[in-house]
Amino acid sequence: MALIQIKDLTKTYVVGDQHVHALRKVSLDIKSGEFVTIVGPSGSGKSTFMHILGCLDRPNSGSYILNGRDVSKLSKDELARVRNSTIGFVFQSFNLLPRTSAIENVELPLLYNGNKYTPAERKKKAVAALAAVGLAARGHHHPNQLSGGQQQRVAIARALMSEPPIILADEPTGNLDTRTSIEVMEIFQQLQRDRGITVIVITHEHQIAEYGTRIISFRDGRIVSDLPNSYARLAAEELEQLPVPASEVA
Amino acid sequence: MTLSETVHLATRTLRRNALRSALTLVGITIGVGAVVTMVAVGNGARASIEDQVVAAGMNVITVVAGNYKMKGEDGGGGVVDHNASLETGKKGSGARPLFVRHPEDDPMEKHDHPTARQRLGDSAAGLGAAATLTRADADAIRQGVSGIQYVSAGVHESARVLYGDRRWFTRLHGGETDLQRIRRSWTFKYGRFFSDREFNNTALVTVLGTVAHEKLFGRETDPTGREVRIWNQPFTVVGVIASTNWATTGAVGDDQFDAVYVPLTTVHRLLNLSKLNSITVTSRSAGETTKVSRAITELLRKRHGIGEAAPDDFVVQTQASLALGKGVSPQVARAITGNAPGLEQLTLEQLSHTLERASRTMTVLLASVAGVSLLVGGIGIMNIMLLSVTERTKEIGLRMALGARSRDVMLQFLTEAVTLSLIGGVIGVLLALAASGGVKQVLRWSAVVSPEAVVLAVVVAAAVGVFFGIYPARQAAQLDPIDALRYE
Repeated sequence: MALIQIKDLTKTYVVGDQHVHALRKVSLDIKSGEFVTIVGPSGSGKSTFMHILGCLDRPNSGSYILNGRDVSKLSKDELARVRNSTIGFVFQSFNLLPRTSAIENVELPLLYNGNKYTPAERKKKAVAALAAVGLAARGHHHPNQLSGGQQQRVAIARALMSEPPIILADEPTGNLDTRTSIEVMEIFQQLQRDRGITVIVITHEHQIAEYGTRIISFRDGRIVSDLPNSYARLAAEELEQLPVPASEVA
Repeated sequence: MTLSETVHLATRTLRRNALRSALTLVGITIGVGAVVTMVAVGNGARASIEDQVVAAGMNVITVVAGNYKMKGEDGGGGVVDHNASLETGKKGSGARPLFVRHPEDDPMEKHDHPTARQRLGDSAAGLGAAATLTRADADAIRQGVSGIQYVSAGVHESARVLYGDRRWFTRLHGGETDLQRIRRSWTFKYGRFFSDREFNNTALVTVLGTVAHEKLFGRETDPTGREVRIWNQPFTVVGVIASTNWATTGAVGDDQFDAVYVPLTTVHRLLNLSKLNSITVTSRSAGETTKVSRAITELLRKRHGIGEAAPDDFVVQTQASLALGKGVSPQVARAITGNAPGLEQLTLEQLSHTLERASRTMTVLLASVAGVSLLVGGIGIMNIMLLSVTERTKEIGLRMALGARSRDVMLQFLTEAVTLSLIGGVIGVLLALAASGGVKQVLRWSAVVSPEAVVLAVVVAAAVGVFFGIYPARQAAQLDPIDALRYE
């Protein structure tokens, strides 16, 4: 059974006296362990789709079965619980808390999982998650002491904290240069490959979309194409070809 | 997140904006500090008034055996109004009417204890001399009347006290150990009062009033441990009582200081008596003496089996009602004569009521002024919390995306508000303690910071935090995570 089963999803906003049809009967299945990229110009409905996919919003109609559970009609609090346990978010602007150490930023999701861990356990897990994204030495740095790529890696570590089956990344490379973009995509590919995590990346850059094994295009609130990508780019290989930046030589 | 972690998070967040947080809690600090200080000063004023009143003996109630004014005059209401006591007071030499009522107590008259023994014996010679009070009555008052502070049963005699070749004819009071606590104006020049143990053992010990001490030993001699003879028995002197109060002076003939004190049990044993002349009682509050004396009257009437129509076989006097006839302080006297339209209508009890009421009004007034500053402080907190919610919209959106429920967000912001106000409150209490200390030192006012006021102030501070924090916290909790995340 597919991890995500979406059928006839519609979402309409009322802006002034106009009805904006953000999603028109979208249907889609995503299997566990896929690396899906979703592309489309702004206004195509991909952001709305991502919000519903991420359980931040509810559809007007249609069903959304996530991990075997219909989440399209859950209350706000129940959605919060689902988000906490099932979905790891990565945002374009990183969304790290300012003046807060990387460790504390990474710990955040565990504050809201019903006291499953003691503070000491939380910290241990956060340190481990930071190590997994190559930032073991930066645990006590504040976001303003980290580069953009490092900040995004902290955000990925945070997304991994409650060990979710899905990582949902909204334009994760939008604020990054080419090299760090590839680095971030490499981490995603590694997570998908090594841990079997389902990765869903929303982007408007086609080069980024090509890292996925499946590319879905949105336009005017509908899926216009949904194609497997058997020639997906491999970030790890590309990184080897790139010259080592001066900043990392020292 | 457990509560302690929530509080920890709140304090950390507040510390990140240390200056802003400090400025915000200053409002609460001033409010709480002002309230606690004002209440302390008000309480101090009230306590010192109450103290003066108590020191003047205004909470003392005396129950006297027998009822002289019975015969046909008035119905015997039990509580004597001050007019009546003024009349009786004229007969004596400034002594309490108790003794005035017993003509044989005149120190100029030659008589001896057998007369007294007869009077106190069970043979009642007419209503006026009725010896009706017993120690059981005293115990019943102690246990059965509310608002009672101390009770001391008493027997009053006259006696010759001998020390070597000196002799002094003076009053002898048989009392209980609580008598020293009833007489607030007493201070021990030497030694102590007789103890419970000496009382229970009917010990031959005596405490001298200053006048008796001076006459027998001279002013500067410490008589403790010396032996005096009373009724041909050797009594050991254990202490000397002097007066601290302007209202009572130790002159010859003074009932309290030209006197010797002996345990009641000893007097009963030596003179083979079983009855009492009087029971001296204090009420906890000077304002309650009338109420308490009514209760005593009722209790004793019941105990003595006196029927509806029959007169009391005792007299209950409040000290307040007697005090007008005595040499009270000129200030009090002036206050009475200056303010009272009808002097005969005003008792010191009423005066103390008035003073108490005035100081209470003052306290309420000052506390409400201080309360306004609490309100302003609360609004300050609300203002800052609203600002904080706006500033941290993105953080709220993020926390929600990561799984925070509305109530988690609400709790976080509410905790911040309450933490602010509580810290403000605690600092305010500390400032108030310092301020009332300063008031005591510099202005020589008495200020009493009561634990209740401190607890109340802290609770009020927390309540202010909740009250003014709930709206901003609600605003935060009701944010939509998508909009909040998009907020720039």
